[in-house]
Amino acid sequence: MGASPAFAPQRMEFDVPVAFEREEELSWIRLEGEVGIGSAAELKDFLIQALASGKKVRVSLQSATELDVTAVELLWAALREAKASGVAFVIEAPVPPIITSALLQAGFDEFAKDMDAGQAGGENPCQ
Amino acid sequence: MSIVENAEQFKQSFREEAREILVDLEAALLELNENRADPELVGRIFRGLHTIKGSGAMFGFDRLAAFTHQLETAFDEVRNGRLAVGAELIDLTLSALDQIRVLVEEDAGGAPADPEACAKILARVQQLAGILTPGPAPEKALSTPPAACAEPTREWHIRFAPGPDMMRNGANPFLLLRELRQLGGLSVRASMAAVPPLAELDPERCYVTWDMVLVTATGADAIRDVFIFVEDGCDLTIAAASAADSTAQALDEQRAQPVGRRSYDKPDNVSSLRVPAAKLDQFVDLVGELVTVQARLSELASQRDDAEIAAVSEEIERLTSALRENSMNIRMLPIRATFEKFRRLVHDLARDLGKDIELTMEGADTELDKTVIDQLGDPLMHLIRNSIDHGISAPAVRASYGKRPTASIHLSARHSGASVLISVSDDGNGIDAEAVRSSAIEKGLVAADAQLTEAETFALIFQPGFSTAKTVTDVSGRGVGMDVVRQRVDSLRGTIEVVSKPGVGTTVTLRLPLTLAIIDGLLVGVGSACFVLPLANTLECIELTRADIERANGKHLANVREELVPYIRLREHFNIRTEPPAIEQIMIVETEEGRFGFVVDQVLGNCQTVIKNLGRFYRHVQVVSGATILGNGTVALILDPERLAKEAMRSAIHGPRGRPPRAGDRPAI
Repeated sequence: MGASPAFAPQRMEFDVPVAFEREEELSWIRLEGEVGIGSAAELKDFLIQALASGKKVRVSLQSATELDVTAVELLWAALREAKASGVAFVIEAPVPPIITSALLQAGFDEFAKDMDAGQAGGENPCQ
Repeated sequence: MSIVENAEQFKQSFREEAREILVDLEAALLELNENRADPELVGRIFRGLHTIKGSGAMFGFDRLAAFTHQLETAFDEVRNGRLAVGAELIDLTLSALDQIRVLVEEDAGGAPADPEACAKILARVQQLAGILTPGPAPEKALSTPPAACAEPTREWHIRFAPGPDMMRNGANPFLLLRELRQLGGLSVRASMAAVPPLAELDPERCYVTWDMVLVTATGADAIRDVFIFVEDGCDLTIAAASAADSTAQALDEQRAQPVGRRSYDKPDNVSSLRVPAAKLDQFVDLVGELVTVQARLSELASQRDDAEIAAVSEEIERLTSALRENSMNIRMLPIRATFEKFRRLVHDLARDLGKDIELTMEGADTELDKTVIDQLGDPLMHLIRNSIDHGISAPAVRASYGKRPTASIHLSARHSGASVLISVSDDGNGIDAEAVRSSAIEKGLVAADAQLTEAETFALIFQPGFSTAKTVTDVSGRGVGMDVVRQRVDSLRGTIEVVSKPGVGTTVTLRLPLTLAIIDGLLVGVGSACFVLPLANTLECIELTRADIERANGKHLANVREELVPYIRLREHFNIRTEPPAIEQIMIVETEEGRFGFVVDQVLGNCQTVIKNLGRFYRHVQVVSGATILGNGTVALILDPERLAKEAMRSAIHGPRGRPPRAGDRPAI
């Protein structure tokens, strides 16, 4: 992320499976392939930037094959903040079944169900 | 750091961990061989295998994980009392450890593993353990359900809060849950209560905690084993439920517990650190530089009449001395690990050569510098191989001599002044001095009429190419091993002593310096030159007057409290062409040849000396073991009193051109 703001492209892609895209009304965060600790710092940055913009945030997991616990925590914390600050935060449906089933196996039942319904951002999903 | 570099770093730390575990496993197996019913040892082996399997799978060593899993299963059978420990299982497991070692290293440029050998070992292990359905593929192997056992199914409540660095260390809690699921029915509930606001969240830390209920026939140990490689720093409670209907209540209770201090928040949690050896070397180098600069400061302070500077200089001297001691201590390691690894060598060689040998150790906790320890492995290995191959006979032969059929090899280490003495003793046949002599004459190493003392004769076995063996075996007999011992000990500035009695046994003792970096020395001056004598060997200092010299009739002998002590004059030895003072000083030093004196002009004082290597150009100058930089910036040579004394004795006996000794030759110093 060495580019200075003056030259920052609208769409930023990295060798990590996280991409961030800004549209007029919307911030997109796309997670692809295995999303783990290696991309956690970028994901956190993108989530903070997306929430700070005040625009609607859409997260796409459609090309993701695996989320580790760091990604789950980040998404969950972002969701909690979006709700508190009134920003719309949507996880795009459908979430790949492999992700939903992994979340269920790891005990994130509420979160997985909400994601699957594309309704993440409702009540505190995990407690 | 890129993900690839990160992954490589994790793999590297796994390799380091695996190497340590393998050493421990090997020691445990050999102990188990002696004490086959010890459940502690079986548990230790099981846990070691389990850790290698689990960590290996986590870091992508799939073949390693699958292979180790099968061994682990066999030891689970042992643990559950369904398989007895026999010599074959131990030998097989030892060979399996060798394969694991190859599998660990093959990614890092090591030799590739031999799948056939692995398969053979596994097939036999499975046969022994009565495991009928082997699972060669990692997925299959890892998902093999635990062997049915008679224990009743129980319900366990598990609460797991990962440590702060667990993710950074490459562990993945989801995999742990998957592994738990293999033990039985598992219900899991994750808690996000500890996840901080996004801005404060450390993205590489796991804040989630899990409450689980596991219904399984396995015990708490097996459950704990799942967490074995992440247990450090994490909070883990495993409790058996008294009744099924208490499940919900227990979960609620656990959830209701306040998020208090976790075990990793406790201040005493980390008791040791793993530091790369290179960093430590750098640290010691820097301390060495500091010692040199401090010497310079002391020198400058002593030249000025300034009480304040003198006080600061003294304080710095005190601190530097403490720092030096400390940094040396950090590098000190017990020799135990080096000794322990020979258990395997002795076990394997004894089996291959049909001998019965018991290895005993003494002083394994003796500490010495890491550099010295690193260099000791090879010489000790050659000495032990030599003992087993040449010194020790087969049990029947020993019995026919009236000896105990089980031979003994004893490794010992102990401190002696600034040296450490490491001995390899055996109760074998001893060295046949006559055979050594005739073989040496045959090989042209000594003249046919040479008169050699016993020590000189035994010293011949360390000559390159020397061997009395009639046949070359794959163990020894090529005349290389002992030469390696001598070269290595020489490079460590050590000496070798051999004591042997025919029919009783042989003891080879290596005398090595405790450290190679810094020594306490005495600074002495001859003319304008300065030399350092190691303080540890120095006994006393006496005056040598012109009258004393005249009284000795040209012999270099000093009368020290009615005892004649030979001496050499460093002025003559190093060809320093200045006039000696009227009264010179003799530094009396303890050497292997007895007490010996070195005549100098004056003793300048104590000094902590950082040994600087003189480089390849001077490597043949044996009487100097290094050089040091003094406070005033000049260079002083560090003398090796042992070698100086030996050289003086030799030139006195043989003459300066090394003429072979004749009967009746006596030292003429």
